[in-house]
Amino acid sequence: MAVPFLLQARGIRKAFGGVEVLHGVDLDAPGGSVLALLGENGAGKSTLVKIVAGDYQPDAGTVTVGGDSFSALTPLTAREHGIRMIFQELADAPTLTVAENISLGRWPKRGPFVRWDEIRRRAREVLDQLGVELDVDAPVGSLPVGERQIVEIARALSDRARCLILDEPTAALSAQETERLFGFVRRLREQGTALIYITHRLDEVFEISDRVAVLRDGGVALEGPTADFGRGDLVAAMVGRDIGEVARPAPPARVAPEPVLRFDGASVDGAFDDVALDVRPGEVVALYGKLGSGTAEVAESAFGLHQLSGGAIEIAGRSVRLRDPADAIAAGVGLLPSDRQREGAFLIRSVAENLAAPSWWSMRRGGLFISDRREADAYGRWHEALRVRSRNDPAQLLGTLSGGNQQKVLLGRWLERRSRVLLLIEPTRGVDVGARQEIYRAIRELAAGGVGVLVATSDYEEVVQLADRAVVMARGRVAARLADDEITTQRLTEEVGG
Amino acid sequence: MTPVGTTGGTAAATEKPAAPGARAGAGANLARLPDIAPLVILLLALGIFFSIKSEFFLNYDNFLNILTAAAITGIIAAPATLLMVAGQFDLSVGSGLTFCGVLMAYVADKQGIFAGIVAALAGGVLLGLVNGTLVTVIGVNPLITTLATLAAFAGLARVIADGQTLPVNGFSSLGTSRPIFDIPLPVIIFAVVVVGFYVLMRYTVIGRSMYAIGSNPVAARLTGLRTGRLIFAGFLLSGLFVALAGLINVSQLSAASTQAGNGLELSVITAVVLGGASLAGGRGTIVGTLFGLLVIATLNNGLTLLSVNSFWQDVARGTLLALAVSFDQLRLRLTRE
Repeated sequence: MAVPFLLQARGIRKAFGGVEVLHGVDLDAPGGSVLALLGENGAGKSTLVKIVAGDYQPDAGTVTVGGDSFSALTPLTAREHGIRMIFQELADAPTLTVAENISLGRWPKRGPFVRWDEIRRRAREVLDQLGVELDVDAPVGSLPVGERQIVEIARALSDRARCLILDEPTAALSAQETERLFGFVRRLREQGTALIYITHRLDEVFEISDRVAVLRDGGVALEGPTADFGRGDLVAAMVGRDIGEVARPAPPARVAPEPVLRFDGASVDGAFDDVALDVRPGEVVALYGKLGSGTAEVAESAFGLHQLSGGAIEIAGRSVRLRDPADAIAAGVGLLPSDRQREGAFLIRSVAENLAAPSWWSMRRGGLFISDRREADAYGRWHEALRVRSRNDPAQLLGTLSGGNQQKVLLGRWLERRSRVLLLIEPTRGVDVGARQEIYRAIRELAAGGVGVLVATSDYEEVVQLADRAVVMARGRVAARLADDEITTQRLTEEVGG
Repeated sequence: MTPVGTTGGTAAATEKPAAPGARAGAGANLARLPDIAPLVILLLALGIFFSIKSEFFLNYDNFLNILTAAAITGIIAAPATLLMVAGQFDLSVGSGLTFCGVLMAYVADKQGIFAGIVAALAGGVLLGLVNGTLVTVIGVNPLITTLATLAAFAGLARVIADGQTLPVNGFSSLGTSRPIFDIPLPVIIFAVVVVGFYVLMRYTVIGRSMYAIGSNPVAARLTGLRTGRLIFAGFLLSGLFVALAGLINVSQLSAASTQAGNGLELSVITAVVLGGASLAGGRGTIVGTLFGLLVIATLNNGLTLLSVNSFWQDVARGTLLALAVSFDQLRLRLTRE
């Protein structure tokens, strides 16, 4: 390459419906370097990269790509200049093959006929370039998420991408898949590609990026070589204040001696084996392990989502057989699933209904009747306690609340249901740093109120900040048990293994 | 504690499309408001137009004609609304109506009217059982399931009737009597069904649960709702009301025709969708469906009064359906953005 590639945005402004979300932002993404882009939800990251990718037109400012300046890129011009974005949600065609996906939208033709040999050749070439072995004739839908993402990257590459924007690419990946992705990112960097890497995970920033930019409230709060900053600097820049990130919680005031939830040598085929643990009222127990280590399945089996193949589960001292969630809820168990929007929320229904749903059958009167007012009362009880930031209108649709506040409403569900055991799976995935602290506080308050809390998580900072005790899992088995001061980021990473 | 409520009405602005900002707020309002509003305006406009064009339109008797015409479709459209709110469909209602009617006539001829009524209701329950089992136990897509039962039960009806129209005597009061204010009994039944479903959907656990299932089936299961049972119950209700409508139809005609329910599924779905129920589930009301029914019945009635060829009525109904579905899509898109 004669002239090194450079993508440069200057003074970008953008308003939606009269509210300016970007106030003159500058951004540099030179070829052969990785820029980490950080910021809480609402800071303007997505808007900014969509402007760079031509999806949105800025109100002011210029984008310069490879020497050409634009006051507004279109998706087409952005593409012509080699800018590609890999979205969080996969945008592939699952029923088509790897090769077809890589050439999607620009299938080589001879006359009216598609040249299949050329499609396969192209796919093999670009996969070689990435150093992966994939069956080019396999349907993409049959591959694990990590490999589908690689196919998307391969597609961008084969279309001569010179600037690749990755939007939280590791959100759905396991530890091994993440490592592999980082390998590609490094390789692309060596080949001179400019990479913009959006993430919530601070570890990744330090592991992969050369430069870092933090957006806050539509402006750049911090920008420079990654090596110049520590974690604290980045967090402070994101939230605009020092929040003392990794502090241990105060020990619980009182913990009842008898466990409210107990796993006794429990196994589920293909997920976990011989797990023993107990959760007492008043404490928060973390179940820590990498994705795929079985932590989520352990929690889910206490909610009737997997049937035990061995061992037993006891709730409040009684052995229970949980056939489905309704059984578990009746036994006093609540679950906050990891994928809030897909598994937890009724986005087009009111906040009051969302909060009351598990309690409908106990709320009813005179047979089957249920009143709006009783639901609204239930919502009123928890709106304040959980510090939900909304209009405090029980009829407001849940989908109009921010992610963190939706999560609080879903927590409130189980408070209203008076659940004795609460299972949380990755409770702060996709929640920004500020709201995260509030959710932790809500969870601690719940425990203080006498609920036994089990948190399945792959985020060790979460364990340190939240848990009284931690059970570390690896490959479906308990690898270690830690309590109180033993719970440090270092111990956790050691115990979970490589 | 961090300051709360500094932004007043809107929660913290976010960049995620699912969440607020001014545009999403407008979308939410739009999604809530116009379910009924455009329909009421359309109905009024039709009423005014036909009143001007035809001297026969604006009077009590014609008003009752419109309601009578809407009654049979309406009795079926009520459970259909409940199903669609839960994200389900029942296409088998037309052949179900034919089947129940023919069964009634066949049994009544041999065992008497009462046995015929019981047979028709049992036929409706059977249809509901088959649909419910296929959808909730086997897990077949409701569209395909009820397309299959649509064909099968239409065939069954013809088998029973041997392709003939079966006469039924001494059973005309259900369909033709006018107990109060000269109002035909089917219209009164229709009104009771509408009120019943209004209460069911608005004020009971079952109604709430149906909205929850339609809005997010996975989340519904994870909040402990027995989604399979509830959907099963929805199909059973649909079958039962199809039987009731079939009985009324037989009573009105004093005969059971193997063509009686042809195309009924289309009228029902048109009314429900026109009334604002979302094909994606989670949205829709009985009041909306009622207005949807009234718009269609008024349109048909007015066009008949103006001596417009009945084929054109089909064109008008199809056009309405296309418009209603497009409107649904448009609204969905607006709420998403």
